[in-house]
Amino acid sequence: MEENKIYEKEHTINENYRQKPKVAVYVCHCGGNISDVVDVKKVAEELSKYHDVAISREYAFMCSSTGQDYIVEDIQKNGINRVVIAACSPALHELTFRGALQRAGLNPYLYEHVNIREQVSWVHKNDKEGATKKAISLVKAGVEKVLRQDPLNSIRVEAVKTVAVIGGGVSGMRAALSVAKNGLNAVIIEKSDKLGGKLNRSGNVYPTGEKAISVAENLSKEVLSSDKIKVYFNSEITFVSGYVGNFQINVKRKNGEYEKIKAGAIIIATGFDNYKPYEGEYGYGLNKFVLTLPEFIEALEKSGPGKFNYNGKDINSVSFIHCVGSRQIDGIDKPGKNGKINEYCSRVCCTSLINTANNLKTKYPDVEVFDIYTDIRTYGMDHESYYKEASKNDVIFFRRPLEERPSVEFDGAKIKIKTKDVLTMNEDMEIETDMVVLGVGMVPNDITDLVEYMKLPKSSDGFLQEVHPKLRPVEVANNGIFIAGTAQGPMDILESLQASNTAAVKAAALLASGDIPLDPFVAVVDEDKCTGCEKCPKECSYSGALTMIEKEVNGKKKKVAYVNAALCKGCGACAAVCEPRAINVAGWSLDQFDAMVEAIAKE
Amino acid sequence: MKVNTKFIKEVKKYGAFDISACFNCGNCTAVCPLSKEDSSFPRKMIRYAQVGAEDKIESSLEPWMCYYCGECSDTCPRQAYPGEFMMSLRRYLISRYDATGLSKFFYMNSWAQNILVIGIFLVSLIFFISYNGDFQELAAKIELAFPAYVTLAIFMYVFTMYKKTILDKSKKFLFSFDFSNIKETLIHGLTQKNFSGCSETDWTRWIAHLLVMSGYTLTLIISNLHLLEPLKKHYGLLDITTPLVFYAAFGIIAGGFVMMGRRFLKKIQSSKFSHPTDWLFVAMLFLIGISTLTTYILNMAMGPDAEAVAISYKINIAIEVAWIIIIVPFTKWIHIFFRPMAIYLYNLKKEKQLA
Ligand SMILES: Cc1cc2nc3c(=O)[nH]c(=O)nc-3n(C[C@H](O)[C@H](O)[C@H](O)COP(=O)(O)OP(=O)(O)OC[C@H]3O[C@@H](n4cnc5c(N)ncnc54)[C@H](O)[C@@H]3O)c2cc1C
Ligand code: SF4
Ligand code: SF4
Repeated sequence: MEENKIYEKEHTINENYRQKPKVAVYVCHCGGNISDVVDVKKVAEELSKYHDVAISREYAFMCSSTGQDYIVEDIQKNGINRVVIAACSPALHELTFRGALQRAGLNPYLYEHVNIREQVSWVHKNDKEGATKKAISLVKAGVEKVLRQDPLNSIRVEAVKTVAVIGGGVSGMRAALSVAKNGLNAVIIEKSDKLGGKLNRSGNVYPTGEKAISVAENLSKEVLSSDKIKVYFNSEITFVSGYVGNFQINVKRKNGEYEKIKAGAIIIATGFDNYKPYEGEYGYGLNKFVLTLPEFIEALEKSGPGKFNYNGKDINSVSFIHCVGSRQIDGIDKPGKNGKINEYCSRVCCTSLINTANNLKTKYPDVEVFDIYTDIRTYGMDHESYYKEASKNDVIFFRRPLEERPSVEFDGAKIKIKTKDVLTMNEDMEIETDMVVLGVGMVPNDITDLVEYMKLPKSSDGFLQEVHPKLRPVEVANNGIFIAGTAQGPMDILESLQASNTAAVKAAALLASGDIPLDPFVAVVDEDKCTGCEKCPKECSYSGALTMIEKEVNGKKKKVAYVNAALCKGCGACAAVCEPRAINVAGWSLDQFDAMVEAIAKE
Repeated sequence: MKVNTKFIKEVKKYGAFDISACFNCGNCTAVCPLSKEDSSFPRKMIRYAQVGAEDKIESSLEPWMCYYCGECSDTCPRQAYPGEFMMSLRRYLISRYDATGLSKFFYMNSWAQNILVIGIFLVSLIFFISYNGDFQELAAKIELAFPAYVTLAIFMYVFTMYKKTILDKSKKFLFSFDFSNIKETLIHGLTQKNFSGCSETDWTRWIAHLLVMSGYTLTLIISNLHLLEPLKKHYGLLDITTPLVFYAAFGIIAGGFVMMGRRFLKKIQSSKFSHPTDWLFVAMLFLIGISTLTTYILNMAMGPDAEAVAISYKINIAIEVAWIIIIVPFTKWIHIFFRPMAIYLYNLKKEKQLA
């Protein structure tokens, strides 16, 4: 496979790190968070006596601009070439201080961050002396580590300016359109022969009342007429390889041809599946007048004017049951084929059921409608008005207790639903009805192969999982891969579209500049030491990250380990098996760890 | 419990057109100052109606505990007008407790009631005017027949109510002779005391109601005991009947005026919705007050033999005839009996621990 160029972005400006080390140590008070427990003066004083330490200071807030100015000044005026900062968690301010080093002209990685807040002052409040001692040894270990630190340069990979969108439902289409609007190319890979996904159905959609099919058609017209979007229909993905900026997707077309699609980023918009009730669940499969919601929507559309007729019977009353296959409870509901129950709420079924009940009432006002729920979750903007309208339409609602399930019984041609009703003072109610509609929820689509190829994380619900629901809602842990719409979990159309736009913008921002920065903490091989034993590639879990190559080293051809910096995650599994210590994770070498342990153990 | 959707449609014929909008949040019950733990309304009643629990409704005393403060309707987030629903339930129950079925017929066909009332009035009047005998004697007989007729009607109601709320459950005749129960029942009956239970007591309404009630009761006493003989006696300022008649007429007219005005302006919840029979009820009350007073004043001014007095008196009696025959037993007028009766039965239930 032809590879995109990977190159390093030079950070080093000042070459003085090659000279005799001059370490500066800064101990931060964190405004009392640290100094109330740790004797910061003593820490600074102890460290000033440590070898190779040229300057040792303590200050109230190192992250403040005055604090940062100290660092810059010491580097520029006092010849400091390595820095240790003892402060809060690196998650908070590591980048801040790297920036200060960079501004002063020093390689930003010649810096060690020691956490003496979360790891010392906050956890040893009652032992001030012990805390101070611990802080001193941790900072000393930091000095030992930074003394053995090499300057590092961040890695950049060249990116293909195309986004591959897998799945052509509303989410996939919206994502592709947004990508195109941002000036990039998009490719939609759809397994069926049309765009639109679940919206290729009859009936209308809340909250606009448009026909589902016309929502799908409007978007698909736009997609098909865009010269920046290419759609592959009837296409099955057989493999995905590569890394951020440079993915390759192997696709098998219906005509048996194979195709390779290159993309800098991937958006997964494979959607959801309807929950399928098992035989006998609320009578489903035992009686043809027990339907799922999607089946009912079809049936309602098909029936002509006058009387509601289904399967040769006039339907005078219809009962809707909520939460079928959703919000299941361990020990009460039967687990699915995977042995699991669906604990989540499918979110769209409440409003969708009620919208359908209203449509039924509009078309056949004389049909009696019953609705058995446990909570009405018409949560979205204006969704409540559907609920209100249903009440006004004389739909009679019953609220079952959370842990009770209604039963559907057949008595000749009659269908009887029995349920406890919270609204009627917990009495047992009996509803005679001609038809039962099951409000089936959403389940994850079967995309086992894609999950396998891309090592995608799934939540306990089985949907794809984002990194953080609020902070990084459309990214997965894998670099360059985004999720859009119901592949991530139950959403309605509006929410799917919003998520898709977000994913598209994230992907476009990633690829916009043409290359992608990556952290430099990846494995590096000392080719002199490498014996070519081939132990390390076997330990690596990221395919393509670590391979063996034939190479000329010091005039001799030999087999050495080779790291693809874009695929390496810097986990260090390889370093653990290398006897001659020829492979190390940059910034986290075994020599550094040895020295740190020694410094701590000395006390 | 079998769900029956027909029932709520039936109740809606008596008003409460908006009640389907109720989503059972219970706000109405929470704000209702008269609802109690063991006598909870309006939501519970609404729910029974929604699922068609006809038996539960018919054996409930709750509708009579409601005085239509209207606070529930002000609070309802769904604009279901629960207060109006309670009113409609009372109309419904009256028609159910009425064995003759006439109440129901009148509620459904208010025009029929109007025609009947006007018809009876006209027939009586024509008959009275053409009557050659001693009209004062005839009037005495008519007026003495009223109590018998009304007692019969009331007995029918009271018995059905007793049967539906107590007898059908206990399967035996139960009574309470507890003094405090009897006292409470009487006080409620005389003062409609629970009005003051409404947290923002609508004093205007209470006073208007009390004026009409007392004025009307006085009129009843005056006529049923046949205290007036305007064609025989000449009444003067110092007669004992003078303050009685003036008070009764004033009470009815002043109170009735306020009630009509409010129905017209529809500002207050309890006056927002009017069933056509409500109008007839108030209008007739008014006419009784006016005709009694007119007869009396004419008598004071011209003496018992004046032609004007005779005509006025005949009109007065004709109105009363129509009123007693049609309005009293077959409209919500009867609720002045149901309310104290409900209090008695409620205490009886408690005493005998009938769920
Ligand atoms: C009964 C019901 C009624 C609803 N009613 C409403 C409503 O009234 N209003 C509303 O806003 N929302 C409603 N929704 C929700 C709405 O249907 C979804 O939000 C919307 O369809 C999600 O679109 P999507 O593109 O994410 O998924 P989908 O529509 O499922 O599209 C996924 C696409 O990906 C393709 N695909 C799947 N796997 C692969 C693969 N491995 N490779 C290639 N392609 C693949 C599929 O063929 C499909 O085209 C309803 C949902 C249900 C279940
Ligand atoms: S949206 Fe409503 S019906 Fe669907 S799972 Fe949630 S609560 Fe149940
Ligand atoms: S009548 Fe209104 S306030 Fe009372 S339960 Fe119904 S919706 Fe709630």
